[in-house]
Amino acid sequence: MRVPIAWLRDYVDLPGNAQAIADRLAMLGFPVDAIETRPVITGVVAGTIVSLEKHPNADRLQVGSIDVGAGTPLTIATAATNVAAGQRIAVATIGARLPLLTIERRKMRGVESEGMMCSADELALPADWFEDGILQLDADVAPGTDIVEHFRLGDAVLDVDVTSNRPDALSMLGLARELAAALGTPLRAPSDRNPGTAADPAGTAPVVTLDSADCTRFVAQRFDGVRVGVAPTWMRVRLALAGQRPINNLVDVSNFAMLETGQPLHFYDDARLTNHHLIVRDAREGEKLVTLDDVEHELTPQALVVADQAQAQGLAGLKGGKASEVSASTTAIVLESANFAGARIRRMSAKLGFRTEGSTRHEKGLAPALADIGAARAAQLLVAIGANAYAPHAFGAPVAAPEPVPFAVRDVKRLLGFELPNETIAAHLRALGCEVAIVDADRLDVTPPAWRKDIVIGADIVEEIARMAGYDNVVASMPAVYPNDVSSRPYRLERKLACALAALGYHEISSYALHGPALAAKLRRAGIRPSHASVEVRNPLSEDQRYLRYALGPGLVEYFARVGRPIRVFEIGHAFTTAEGVVEESALLSFGFTAPATDEPEWTDSSFLRLKSDAIALIRNVTGRFPETTRDVRNAMHPGKTAVLMLDGREIAAIGQIDPRLGHAFDVPMPVYVCNMYLDALPDNATPRDAPPSKFPSTYRDLALVVDLDVDAAAISQTIVKAIGELCTGARVFDEYRGKQVGEGKKSVAVRVTMQLRDATITDAEADLAIARALDALRERTGATIRG
Amino acid sequence: MSELAAQLADLQSRFAAAVAGAGDERALDAVRVDFLGRSGAVTLLRRGIGQLPAEERPTAGKEINDVVERLEAQLQDAQGALESRAFDADLSRTIDVTFPAPDAAVGTIHPIRRIIEDVCSYFERMGFAVVLGPEVEPDQYNFDALNIPADHPAREGFDSFWITDTLLLRPHTSPMQIRTMEQHAPPIAVVAPGRCYRRDAVDARHLFQFNQIEGLLVAEGIHFGHLKGALTGMCRELFGDDQQVRFRPSFFPFTEPSAEVDTTCPKCRGLGDACNMCGGSGWIELGGAGMVHPNVLRNVGYDPDVVSGWAFGFGIERLGLTRYEIDDIRRFVESDPDFLMQLH
Ligand SMILES: [Zn+2]
Repeated sequence: MRVPIAWLRDYVDLPGNAQAIADRLAMLGFPVDAIETRPVITGVVAGTIVSLEKHPNADRLQVGSIDVGAGTPLTIATAATNVAAGQRIAVATIGARLPLLTIERRKMRGVESEGMMCSADELALPADWFEDGILQLDADVAPGTDIVEHFRLGDAVLDVDVTSNRPDALSMLGLARELAAALGTPLRAPSDRNPGTAADPAGTAPVVTLDSADCTRFVAQRFDGVRVGVAPTWMRVRLALAGQRPINNLVDVSNFAMLETGQPLHFYDDARLTNHHLIVRDAREGEKLVTLDDVEHELTPQALVVADQAQAQGLAGLKGGKASEVSASTTAIVLESANFAGARIRRMSAKLGFRTEGSTRHEKGLAPALADIGAARAAQLLVAIGANAYAPHAFGAPVAAPEPVPFAVRDVKRLLGFELPNETIAAHLRALGCEVAIVDADRLDVTPPAWRKDIVIGADIVEEIARMAGYDNVVASMPAVYPNDVSSRPYRLERKLACALAALGYHEISSYALHGPALAAKLRRAGIRPSHASVEVRNPLSEDQRYLRYALGPGLVEYFARVGRPIRVFEIGHAFTTAEGVVEESALLSFGFTAPATDEPEWTDSSFLRLKSDAIALIRNVTGRFPETTRDVRNAMHPGKTAVLMLDGREIAAIGQIDPRLGHAFDVPMPVYVCNMYLDALPDNATPRDAPPSKFPSTYRDLALVVDLDVDAAAISQTIVKAIGELCTGARVFDEYRGKQVGEGKKSVAVRVTMQLRDATITDAEADLAIARALDALRERTGATIRG
Repeated sequence: MSELAAQLADLQSRFAAAVAGAGDERALDAVRVDFLGRSGAVTLLRRGIGQLPAEERPTAGKEINDVVERLEAQLQDAQGALESRAFDADLSRTIDVTFPAPDAAVGTIHPIRRIIEDVCSYFERMGFAVVLGPEVEPDQYNFDALNIPADHPAREGFDSFWITDTLLLRPHTSPMQIRTMEQHAPPIAVVAPGRCYRRDAVDARHLFQFNQIEGLLVAEGIHFGHLKGALTGMCRELFGDDQQVRFRPSFFPFTEPSAEVDTTCPKCRGLGDACNMCGGSGWIELGGAGMVHPNVLRNVGYDPDVVSGWAFGFGIERLGLTRYEIDDIRRFVESDPDFLMQLH
């Protein structure tokens, strides 16, 4: 909200420095986003045009004699056409500083001009918001009055943030009250007495029917003797500084009273209402309404309207209707000062796609009592511009007197950590408008002011006390933290995985969890059908945020495409799938790399082995155990280069090369290798136990076997280990060869078998016997022959 | 000069000549045998001691021992000199030690995780647990249980991605407050880092996905001052020892009293001036905090008259922008290799 310090000073004495005022507001919970300073203007005073004559030498100029309160009247020439004798105007005297010039004595077509009559522009007010030509002052501004001081034109304008719980502070008076309370200075609040006491002339009293529960209070008040014209300049200057364009005296009064009190108001031209009767009701399906801005809205029953017996006359709390707009011919008006349900106004505003100063206040939920306060203030201002006020009529439930909130004083110490004397607490609360009754040493009864709805429980009162005492007085201290049974296991697992992968040379990346339809298109291009149904976002900001990722792999592949050179990366994050309307969310890890293609024989792939080596090291690191490897086939993976790693027969990870067609669809220039893990599948860490090495030497035998192509290294190794028994400490396939010498459908495999005894040195005879057993088993189980 | 002294002088000069003449290890070993061996020159001299008067014998023995020590030392020196010749060629090599070394194949942990770990490790040392939770949450956890019922104006501040009528991508980590308290009785001490989502257009200061860290401490006797103390410690951990923390009043439906938390701008050390990091205020905004609202405690079955607690929720990216002086928040998601390695 734009808050002119000039306006705040109408109600409270403030320090001179705008920054100090902004800091004070921030420490009350109203941060100031910007301080707009005003240009320096000096030497401008009020003057009365005593006489005005045509310039002797120039048709378009007039020469005035201006009384500026002291000395002989000044002779000033002007080209403005809106001047006349008797007017009170702003005069820049010799030496005056204006935003763009300094006033000097000068001759205008032979006439010595002793100053300049000022337009709004010269006082740094928006020129097109005020009269063309010379700014007209109110008649009660005495000649000689310094205009900059009078309007406080030098004071900065603050852009103040008001939190949604404090619509009462979306007002000059609300913020002035906060400052006065914090500074310990009095608040000069205008009277809340409504000047309208006379009974309405027969048959003219406004009647309001509340046909919706979303209007809890409606104050209607009729005024006649209204003459539409220009509002007093003091009011127009206040509004302009607050960023509100002056329109006419009626609109300006409603805006001024709203900005001052926080209560939105609306005036209807009484002559254009049927029977002085207003009805608050749901709009009818398809009902049409043209608002003040000439926009026609087609409404649904979601909209709340204020109507007369003939038609909708406005969108409740949002915008008035064209049909009953006040105009130059208006002589009688009906004032509306109502309380609408915030949620209803917010939904209507969202549906129709616009907000107004009124709706932003209503939608936060105003206090019903504010309706009476706002009406009273508007009535005072209307009377001041010559209108006749009749008695206000309130519709809806009577405003309940605020209930006292019982407050345990010990909660101050309990929740804030510091104590205050009861008298200080009471003084702080009273400064904010609360009534405070001290019941006993630990108990106060605090009655919040009628305009605040946010003080309901003790904690609310504690916050008020803390704000008044100053949040800076909260003393930092360390809490005692007691043991509790909450587990950090998933976090520690993630941390361990990340550290291990970084140590293995992988870089952690973080990619977007939302993606668009382009991903599915790329998968299709690669001939891959998605294995999961994606979770769809209902209201994405753009199409490329339509789906939640179902895996981390695609993000990695996109990253590889973007980087374009060999790189090793990992990501830990959540992925989402849906089945029968249920969203499944899993914590996943994917790591992998791009590596240039090598010229290895087609039956080997060192990049795959590198990936497998890293995956095993990682699993060993976080589980304390070594997984088994099994061949596998999987969507989006290379059919011959995919495996799963298992522990206790459960899959822990899938590893392999990404289907090269997928890499091509994503424009990755190199083969991609990826390992995917579901973090929930990882078993708890089994702390490894020490197994002391045998003190006796080991021996080994290298075997050269020929086997069918489908006999894999794991089968050979497992067969050997099983056949030899515990004497065997390892059977590792270390070479493989295929070629003409070996024969079609066959491969040659080299295995090193190591053997060791725990209690003696193994003899050659024992080793040979064991190997013979192993070869028998290999022949029987795998059809292996010894390569001769 | 006594006769013995003359003999010793002679022995030493002969020894020196013999050592100098020994060109390899074998020759040197022969010299050792000749002079220090069982029947070498020194042994002969020792035998002569018996001929001396009894009072001269100790002195003579000592003189011989001193000489033997000297000979053995010379022998070792000569041996060392012979051995080191084998290294002459190696030792004459000189390389350009400024020649660029290949990059080590170390990986990196994302700066966002590193900040999360720094914050968590601080709170873990205090006795807090670290909990993780789902990103798709029902509105019950996101809003209702946090004292933000449907139609509460504060829901406007959370412009969320909705999946169904009741499921959404969490716009903050605060649902973890509810999940933790529902499952555990007080005392509670947890921090909960994690990813959140809001419908923000992406630019240099905004992402539609970001990370928050939630803190929650509930027990008897917990107050606002404890929040300031814990957060001051956290800021000192992240930014340095003289870091200050400032509370400003604010409004969140799930805390009362509520505060915006600022900490000293680490770039200008709070001086402000023309600092582009803090806009000249000298303070950096961390996020929201406050005392857990009694309604929230009641919603999980706690008695707000018995226990009290505080909670905070800070944006991790914001901390990262400040800590690493990054001017574009998108760099966290782009995760460019150079960016990751440079911040490591
Ligand atoms: Zn700074």
